[in-house]
Amino acid sequence: MTALPKAPSRAGTTTWTIAVGAVILAAVAFLDVDWGALLNLPRSSWEYGTLMFASPDWEKLPRALFETWRSISMAWLGAILCVALSIPLGMLAAHGVGPAWLRPILRGIFAMIRAVPEVIIALILLTVTGLTPFTGALALGIAGVGTQGKWTYETIESLSDNAAEAVEAAGGGRIAVLRWALWPAALPSLMSFALYRFELGIRMSAVLGLVGAGGIGSMLSNYTNYREWATVGMLLIVVIAATMLVDAVSGAIRRRIMEGARVRGMVRSR
Amino acid sequence: MSLAVPPRPRTWPKTALVAAALITFTVLTCLPAIGGVELDFASIARNWRNGANKMLQLLQPDFTFLPRTLMPMLETLQMALVGAAFAAAVSVPLTLWAARPTNPNGATRRVVRAIINVIRSVPDLVYATILVALVGVGALPGLLTLFLFDLGVIVKLVSEAIDSERHPYLEAGRAAGGTQSQLNRALAIPQTRPLFWNQWLYALELNVRISAVLGIVGAGGIGRLLNERFGFYAYDDVGLIILEILVVVILIEVCSNVLRRRLT
Repeated sequence: MTALPKAPSRAGTTTWTIAVGAVILAAVAFLDVDWGALLNLPRSSWEYGTLMFASPDWEKLPRALFETWRSISMAWLGAILCVALSIPLGMLAAHGVGPAWLRPILRGIFAMIRAVPEVIIALILLTVTGLTPFTGALALGIAGVGTQGKWTYETIESLSDNAAEAVEAAGGGRIAVLRWALWPAALPSLMSFALYRFELGIRMSAVLGLVGAGGIGSMLSNYTNYREWATVGMLLIVVIAATMLVDAVSGAIRRRIMEGARVRGMVRSR
Repeated sequence: MSLAVPPRPRTWPKTALVAAALITFTVLTCLPAIGGVELDFASIARNWRNGANKMLQLLQPDFTFLPRTLMPMLETLQMALVGAAFAAAVSVPLTLWAARPTNPNGATRRVVRAIINVIRSVPDLVYATILVALVGVGALPGLLTLFLFDLGVIVKLVSEAIDSERHPYLEAGRAAGGTQSQLNRALAIPQTRPLFWNQWLYALELNVRISAVLGIVGAGGIGRLLNERFGFYAYDDVGLIILEILVVVILIEVCSNVLRRRLT
């Protein structure tokens, strides 16, 4: 006869569940929200939905496409600037590449940039370059350095040391290790992150449009303010289509970079 | 006897092609005539002092303003938490419907994925702008924005993670004669719980960062105060608010890292 093992205690999990649940309930209870308005939401969203999408105003489509390209341009140039800044800085912040005293300074700068909303960066830049798309591109570039720099040094640090050791054994110095061991191994990931930055930039450029940096975001917030819902509906369709298209293209390129070419007639193995 | 050295592979035509494509695209994005960005580096050289002054003012936060920021900050945290919690509750069934191993039915899977893709492709601030028009200013539009945004992120990332893994336990369950919903409830949910926790905590972090922006369009929280002080050119107060956001974001990051390690 075998004795059944005792069931493990679930007291810890239960306590945690109750604690988390209580915090969430308290947050819901004390949040100053008119929950009644939520009941009107289906009706009002139907109402505004018909205003927006029943007969979208296609007359302003050329203008919308022009502004969309401006947003895409802002995101692209921002991504280039961001990558150009973050790859050298991120490499210097990686363990074993940069000098030890520089690492905490650079990491601190990255963390600071991550904490400042990109809108604030844009508003500071406005005083320098004025209300132009160029400001938007700069703001996207600088705001991205925080995340991108972090990804760069994390990528470099997660590489295995074998190639670096081999270069060192062959008599290579720090520069040679960087060029022949770390750079080729990190390049695919870094390029993939750069494309991802471009995708994120397209979403963020809508935010920057709000403070006047131009692009489809400006147009969208203007027509929302004028309450021209038919135009807003058309703009939303354009924004969604453009974002999905860019995501699909850049996603396909990213997969190609990370997984290599698909060999014809062969099933790709994971 | 000498070994024949294989010829060096010719890679330069491909490299040149990729480089040419990148340069063409970049040049196209710099043509103002078709909507590109006009690169105006001269203005930086001319006006950099303005920006530097503003930075200096931001770097001198006014701590006497602290008491007035506490309530909006609390509201931001509440919005972030409640938005993430609602999204967490709704994300579980949607994620399981959007992944191939947990929903073999192609048609419904595609419908759910399409909806999630549309939800994801609308920028957060656009949601906030439209929802403010729908339900009025306050915390509610902010909350709904965070909910929709989190839903897109969580369902997309978790369902892709489920798709790319192997699932022998589901096969075992199917062999034992379970229906798909039984398999999902009894096997898939416990197995994928760490994935969900990861993304829920990540969503919470993102929410605090986003709510700094939501206030600009009137969606409540610390962002509203930030925008107001910016309008009054009170840069010392703005500096304090940014500092506070920095502290809260770092605290949440540290807490969620600890939790993540315990949960996974």
